[in-house]
Amino acid sequence: MTEKTIPTLNFKEKAEELLPEGASFEACLTCGLCSSGCPASGIENMDPRKFIRMAMLGMDKELSTSKWIWACTQCKRCQHVCPMSIDISQLVFLARSNWPREKKPAGIVRSCQLIQSTDSTSAMGLPPEDFVFVVQDVLEEVREQQPKFKNMQAPMDKKGAHFFVNQNSREPMSEPDEMVPLWKIFDIVGANWTYSSKAWAAENFCMFSGNEEAWREVIKKRVDAVNELGCEVWLNTECGHSYYTMWNGINRFGMKADFKLESLVTYYARWIREGKLPVNSDWNRKNITFTVQDPCMIVRKAYGESIAEDMRFVTKSLVGEENFIDMQPNRSANYCCGGGGGFLQAGMTEHRRTYGKRKFDQIAATGASYVLTPCHNCHSQIEDIGHHYRGSYGVVHFWTLICLSLGILGENERTYLGPDLLECI
Amino acid sequence: MSEEDRHFSAELAVIGTGLAGFAASIFALKRNIKTAQVGNTGAVAYTTGYLDLLGSLAPDYLASIEDPWQGIEQLRDSHPRHPLCRIPKDDIFTAFEQFTSFLGKCGIAYTPPGEFNVSGLTPAGTLKPTLCVPATMQVGSAAFSQKEPCVIIDFKGLKGFSSRQVVANLKDRWPKLSSKRVEFPDMVSGEIYPEVMARSLEVPATREKLAKILASAAGDVKVIGLPAILGMHAPDLVREELEQLTGLQIFEIPTMPPSVPGIRLREMFEQLFPQKGVTLIPQQKVDRLVFIENGAQLSLNDSFGPISIHAKSVILATGRFLSGGLKAGVDGVSEPLLKLPVTQPDSRREWYREKYTDRRGHAVNSAGIEVDSSFRPLDNHGRPYSKNLFAAGVILAHQDWIRGRCGAGVAIATAYKAVEEVEKLLK
Repeated sequence: MTEKTIPTLNFKEKAEELLPEGASFEACLTCGLCSSGCPASGIENMDPRKFIRMAMLGMDKELSTSKWIWACTQCKRCQHVCPMSIDISQLVFLARSNWPREKKPAGIVRSCQLIQSTDSTSAMGLPPEDFVFVVQDVLEEVREQQPKFKNMQAPMDKKGAHFFVNQNSREPMSEPDEMVPLWKIFDIVGANWTYSSKAWAAENFCMFSGNEEAWREVIKKRVDAVNELGCEVWLNTECGHSYYTMWNGINRFGMKADFKLESLVTYYARWIREGKLPVNSDWNRKNITFTVQDPCMIVRKAYGESIAEDMRFVTKSLVGEENFIDMQPNRSANYCCGGGGGFLQAGMTEHRRTYGKRKFDQIAATGASYVLTPCHNCHSQIEDIGHHYRGSYGVVHFWTLICLSLGILGENERTYLGPDLLECI
Repeated sequence: MSEEDRHFSAELAVIGTGLAGFAASIFALKRNIKTAQVGNTGAVAYTTGYLDLLGSLAPDYLASIEDPWQGIEQLRDSHPRHPLCRIPKDDIFTAFEQFTSFLGKCGIAYTPPGEFNVSGLTPAGTLKPTLCVPATMQVGSAAFSQKEPCVIIDFKGLKGFSSRQVVANLKDRWPKLSSKRVEFPDMVSGEIYPEVMARSLEVPATREKLAKILASAAGDVKVIGLPAILGMHAPDLVREELEQLTGLQIFEIPTMPPSVPGIRLREMFEQLFPQKGVTLIPQQKVDRLVFIENGAQLSLNDSFGPISIHAKSVILATGRFLSGGLKAGVDGVSEPLLKLPVTQPDSRREWYREKYTDRRGHAVNSAGIEVDSSFRPLDNHGRPYSKNLFAAGVILAHQDWIRGRCGAGVAIATAYKAVEEVEKLLK
């Protein structure tokens, strides 16, 4: 069997098809702000400016085969800083789509295949019945062992619930106790919520693999599931790309969705403001310091400043204003950590860590002891680069700290706490 | 999918996020005017950080001028319609004072405006006459005027800044100037960017490593010049610490764009304005601007859908061609948002002189919109387009800011004046 080759794409022609009328990649002034502000610059001897110049010069063969497209996380920071607002990530998506499946990074392709393999749409292939079992099993254990939560619910397939809550597969699959803090938060605020046995999973590597048809199918399953249960809000939990792939997909594929897409961060902020989540920072007597990582997928690429502000409000409420140190740059100008775009699954560890060095420096410059982030890919990558570059910080979920502040964090729910935080319980 | 429209209201809407737009918001904050600002902030990152008022005079822009205030007096005779001639000296001075002191309070210290221009060093080894300089660059101007022994240091892999070039062009005026190239700590090989180095220097451990390299490169010399890489968000602190660690006097020289001092300003504005109560929509351009009774309605779109802003007054600070404030077409130069008349050469043939490098500049570079004495743009009949509309910055006609070295001056002074007029209107 002959090995498949990567077809040559006509980037300039494709770019012209993609862009709205009047816009042009030729508007590029070659100033280099994109490359200067891109953590993937230099990897595989490529950077965003070079990419766009090569596209405009018709160097299609070189671009079609460049591995750099798998190191670009499509975080859109290049577009954000570009005075002409040129979107290079669209070309990267095209280039990814153009690679034969056999040539694409196997990890990303496999994750997409697993998503397609069950009705769960789980990138870890966890089937619906297993998800239902795990949820039930963990719930029973909590009810038995934590008297305060003996009546707690984790509803499944509840029609007409206000919130359809998704879940990153990592929890039911590898660390099921991490679901509990979230349930406790819903319990305390009295949220009318439900999981769905179908299409409950958050992750969507089909977009990252450049498989548009698979991406569409996944989103279709999820939209159908929410419509079927008649929920008003699809509530995205602490996972970044799930939101973007859903929101962007619904618009891109022109789907009918009878619900709103919202982020859990927005609700954390709302419930704290409304007094439903009575958190405070009294527990932080040792003035342990925190910074936050703005996930590109929900900040720069989606909600922008409003969610970034909510995240800071929640953080300050939890740890005390004086113990919060913002990363620089931050909000929409923040750097991608290098965990996005399927990079964590792509098997390009060395490149991914090179990319992550800038994030590591940002965190080191804050001197903070912990990074809070509502995104699993950010979480994993920031942990990994912390170990690799010998940092001394920890990474925590918001739900963990909320429950810690409320004094309801169970013993099995403390995986990400260092000794300093454990002492505060 | 259900979505919510977003609506904001403000007393003042600033359209444009260049120096003029940001200056307008700063002056509006100072006067407690509730402000919303829209525009793509990208191009602010092109600035060198120098804030010039007036550095060179028409018609041939030959010599740099030392006294910009005297220069403006001369302009009043030769080019009375130049925007700087329409503003009293005291107001221009106050505008620069307020602008630089705001930047200082927000973490980027500047020298206050003085009576004379100082010589800012450029990466080409030329001198730029400028009124105010970032504190990180001040030592360089002083060292040049004293002709002190000095080493300019550059870095392996860094493009857009060559210490040899700086020295080659300055050597005849600064004999004790020399150059050296060193390696920046912990950078992987290949091209490295000033932005990356600057961010890396926000980490104390990187500063310590670099300090050792710099001390060794300086030898017996006590003053060193670096490309502008001394941190992004706390440049004064980074410089101070490096000076302490090395025992040297250290200054920055801007690099070729994208230059760190410009990115510093951009990120500072983007972060601080929302905290100070300005509604900043930083990545979008206004699609439509309509004047209604007692105000204006701005419409724009971002990826989430429509945004509308109602404002009692508007300052148009959309700049020139790069940022889209003016548009050059086959039929001439136009102002795309409101179709305001643009003063310009009679035909395209007259836009440029024969030689691109002609010292006298080109007629198209003085194109722009006309305003009345209150900085209200004029319509085709020479009347104010709306009593609620004002304009500031280089969209104004009758100035060639690049040749005149007066870009910041026009931006800051006219923004000051426009906001003063907005305040009068609101009262």
